[in-house]
Amino acid sequence: MNQTAAPPRDHTTSSTEAGIGMHVQKRNGDLEPVDVNKIVRAVALCAHGLDAIDSLRVATRTISGLYDGATTAELDRLSIQTAAALTAEEPEYSKLAARLLSVYIGKEVRQQDIQSFSQSVKFGHQAGLINERTAEFVETNRRKLNDSIEKDRDQLFRYFGLRTVYDRYLLKNPDSRLVLETPQYFFMRVACGLAETPSEAIEFYRLISSLEYMASSPTLFNSGTMRTQLSSCYLLDSPGDDLMAIYKKYADIARLSKYAGGIGLAYHRVRSKGSLIQGTNGHSNGIVPFLKTLDSSVAAVNQGGRRKGAACVYLESWHADIEDFLELRENTGDEARRTHNLNLANWIPDLFMERVEANAEWTLFDPAKTPELCDTFGDDFRQAYEQAEAGGRGERTVKARDLYSRMMRALAQTGNGWMTFKDHSNLKCNQTGTPGNVVHLSNLCTEIIEVTSDAETAVCNLGSVNLSKFVLENGNFDFDHLGEVVRTAVKYLDRVIDINYYPTESAGSSNARWRPVGLGLMGMQDVFFQMRLPFDSEEALDLSTRIQKEIYFHALDTSCRIAEESGAHPSFEETRAARGDLQFDLWNVQPEDQSRFDALKARIKTHGLRNSLLIAIAPTATIASISGCYECIEPQISNLFKRETLSGDFLQINNYLVADLKKAGLWTDEMRNKIKRSEGSVQDIEELSADMRLLYRTAWEIPQKALIDLGAARGPYIDQSQSLNLFMETPSIGKLSSMYMYAWKKGLKTTYYLRSRPATRIRQTDAQTNVDVATNPTDGYKSSDALACSLENPESCESCQ
Amino acid sequence: MRKASILDPGFDLTLRPMRYPVFFEMYKDAIKNTWTVDEIDWSQDLTDLRERLLPSERHMINRLVAFFATGDSIVANNLVLNLYKHINSPEARMYLSRQLFEEALHVQFYLTLLDTYIPDPKERNAAFAAVENIPSIRKKAEFCFKWIDSIDSLEEAKTPEQRRQFLLNLVCFSSCIEGLFFFAAFAYVYFLRSKGLLNGLASGTNWVFRDESCHMNFAFEVVGTVREEHPELWDERMHADIVEMMKEAVECEMGFAEDLLEGGVPGLSLRDMRTYLEFVADQRLSNLGLPAHFGSKNPFSFMELQDVQELSNFFERRVSAYQIGVEGEVAFDESF
Repeated sequence: MNQTAAPPRDHTTSSTEAGIGMHVQKRNGDLEPVDVNKIVRAVALCAHGLDAIDSLRVATRTISGLYDGATTAELDRLSIQTAAALTAEEPEYSKLAARLLSVYIGKEVRQQDIQSFSQSVKFGHQAGLINERTAEFVETNRRKLNDSIEKDRDQLFRYFGLRTVYDRYLLKNPDSRLVLETPQYFFMRVACGLAETPSEAIEFYRLISSLEYMASSPTLFNSGTMRTQLSSCYLLDSPGDDLMAIYKKYADIARLSKYAGGIGLAYHRVRSKGSLIQGTNGHSNGIVPFLKTLDSSVAAVNQGGRRKGAACVYLESWHADIEDFLELRENTGDEARRTHNLNLANWIPDLFMERVEANAEWTLFDPAKTPELCDTFGDDFRQAYEQAEAGGRGERTVKARDLYSRMMRALAQTGNGWMTFKDHSNLKCNQTGTPGNVVHLSNLCTEIIEVTSDAETAVCNLGSVNLSKFVLENGNFDFDHLGEVVRTAVKYLDRVIDINYYPTESAGSSNARWRPVGLGLMGMQDVFFQMRLPFDSEEALDLSTRIQKEIYFHALDTSCRIAEESGAHPSFEETRAARGDLQFDLWNVQPEDQSRFDALKARIKTHGLRNSLLIAIAPTATIASISGCYECIEPQISNLFKRETLSGDFLQINNYLVADLKKAGLWTDEMRNKIKRSEGSVQDIEELSADMRLLYRTAWEIPQKALIDLGAARGPYIDQSQSLNLFMETPSIGKLSSMYMYAWKKGLKTTYYLRSRPATRIRQTDAQTNVDVATNPTDGYKSSDALACSLENPESCESCQ
Repeated sequence: MRKASILDPGFDLTLRPMRYPVFFEMYKDAIKNTWTVDEIDWSQDLTDLRERLLPSERHMINRLVAFFATGDSIVANNLVLNLYKHINSPEARMYLSRQLFEEALHVQFYLTLLDTYIPDPKERNAAFAAVENIPSIRKKAEFCFKWIDSIDSLEEAKTPEQRRQFLLNLVCFSSCIEGLFFFAAFAYVYFLRSKGLLNGLASGTNWVFRDESCHMNFAFEVVGTVREEHPELWDERMHADIVEMMKEAVECEMGFAEDLLEGGVPGLSLRDMRTYLEFVADQRLSNLGLPAHFGSKNPFSFMELQDVQELSNFFERRVSAYQIGVEGEVAFDESF
């Protein structure tokens, strides 16, 4: 801690009032009078370099929330919360709260006699948390590793990030529930879990503790522990069309989701409602009752209390239970036919979209009679489908547009029923170079595209580059550094494959064959803010595409280098890359700097690739919070929003906007209230320049066509896919059907949630009356006309604008 | 002859021409807000109660649910016995019928809450009988009953004095009971939620909060209507009586707070609670067109959090914010 920090400003007159006559209980049990100056000093120590912080304010507000006889630990916690609560007024308080929390965590760890990284690992090992290999590795190299801990890197956190790490990622003493590791020990433990040498450990520690790159949550949770399940995603092929297969799948899913994996599951092969069951001569009830059981099963497994299990079920659009499927998430109707915990996705063949466009008929099939439809794509599928139609093997015929319209309605009403495209996904997948290899589904977040079969459960481990760290002071993007980070990241993503614990045999064998990884990114919106590029500008599109191209190039290059040393992945010969086709070739796009890709292709021809797949852009919900940036490729949802997580509610504010407003002298209470009242939008705030309003639009205010265009432009450099959310304030069938038709035509493999806003809102409790009372206490009463505005519809109310 | 007042005794059955369309609009809006108790996921709450709450917080929540168990029933009784009788407008009575359903829904919510939170049948019965055996809750109930009884024998609100009495009852239920007692209760829930605790309770409370806001709004609208029709009722005496009533309500709620916070809850001090109650009371006065009496500012930043757009991580909570009715036909040329 920096002792030269500015001393607290002299506020002796007011500070004597706070906490008078109150006591705190020290750790040894003694009572001591509350001393506001002591608290001010503790806060000021953490506030060096943060000019906007008023330490006295934090101290007095802390004391105001205190009760007589509280413990000093309670006092510490309260001061952290108090600082965090001031974030909405001044973003620097987030840094202050993070530093106070860092100090608090340090105390908690040292309180258990843990003074160094190696002691922390030893303790964790004795407590049965850290595995033998990691414990030994750390013990052997303890001096080097301890010396490499950079405690100051805690300063890189904002409050929300550190809080998340503290609440959920740091290993806890099983008995006392106190944390055993500081944030830096935690990063080093994760690194040691993947490293073979101390210098590797230090290399990876430096990378993740810089927050320039972050491994996925399962890797952060489990690296170095007794159960090294480090993968984020599992994709399971549909159970076969028999009862035992269906029940075995439940058990597989429970095993996979126990250790923090998200599940994608196809259901195309299970027969539809009314299908004859030969063994009993009865009729099947279709897929819904089985999905209901899956729903309960998923809810029962809660990933050790760290987060709820989650799964997404995929169904092809020709399955005869498709209409029931689309209703599974509705809030009304027969509860026996509703699955509130499952996510749903449509796996859509091109033929369906063509028939929608042509306003033609669409035939629905029972897979018990047309099993070939599941295992074909492209022209083969088209042929099989048309033959089955011509052979009269269909169950029912509907208008393609009616079904499409129901898909759109499900999206609007539930956000679920994601639109993912079977043929785009298969035809542009590196793994489908040989007949028989078929992608049957994507995953829980629609960014993984891998082949599956009954014997192969696809697995993917993920990590994301934090782009917000790559804009240089001169305003340029640091492509060189991006390349370096990608190289290190890919090395350790590949490493995960060998260390990973595979809960099922089919997952282990698949991963050994294909060795896929998913390198993604986050903080795209940060880059656009930093470089002042509106989300829908041409420059933004060029930059985002170039970033993706660089990531793809360096990832391929690294994978090829590893192949040079350790050999290509065993199924390399089955891939399209073996035939000289990289992702952009499959999109019929040629990069401008073709020569370096040509050189790379030549080397791939010689050495192969260590990994069949390299790039996938995951939603990064939690790791973006840890890293303090916006999620993956998403535009900001709002300039001011509340984040609800298991650790509680946190206010997030657009720091870039605040900095701009400060520069313009516009960051006032009144401005803050205006932004709050307009629900985080700045479009109607006249004090802002047109440029600023354009830059600081929210996801609701950006044309969605731009999001799709950005996605399609980076697509040629993404060999898996991207979690692309789309946003529409008030969706209509017309707008939605236009939007998804466009997304399909642009060649996107998948889309993710449709985000819309609630039809009615929770009342804005105090924002507006706060101001009214403060500025004009007698003007609270309004005539009946003004009161006619419904608090539930603030947008239709003039007085709320 | 044209009727002069919404408080004229009788049963007006004429919806057209509509005299108070604002009430009809409120009725329609309320219907859009339908929710059900089944939508609430309690699973995390039970773990929190068992493992994560401090003993002092557990005491707080036990007392709180005990209050909830009776609070909405009292409001529903007053609605049936007093409000419906005297507000003579068919469209306003439509709203009141809807409100009555919502009160029943809230009672069901709290019934489920108690059944879920308090597994021991003996303890549970004691909680349901809170109004009999917990003094701080008894005191709040007495405050309510006093204002129910005050117009209990009122058959018609005809004379200015009778109308005054009716107005005071309405102000008490909207501003003190729904507007202050419930708002205080919400603060305890949101305090815990800001610490990531009891999400099931918090999500149900969100919806109750939304409903209560509407109920209050309706009541203020009725008060405003009466005030326009009978400006003479709104005199110094009325003003003084309302302020007196608010002060009494704040003290009553403080007694409850002392009981709730008895064990010491870090982050919720009695001092801050009083400031908050005074702040809310001032807001109610402002809603009624009266100047602030206390001049207090909201000390609870977690209450401010409730206004801000949420972004849930779907691993963690259900996002319940989706549209109900979606219209239109398939098209390919609309802008998006």
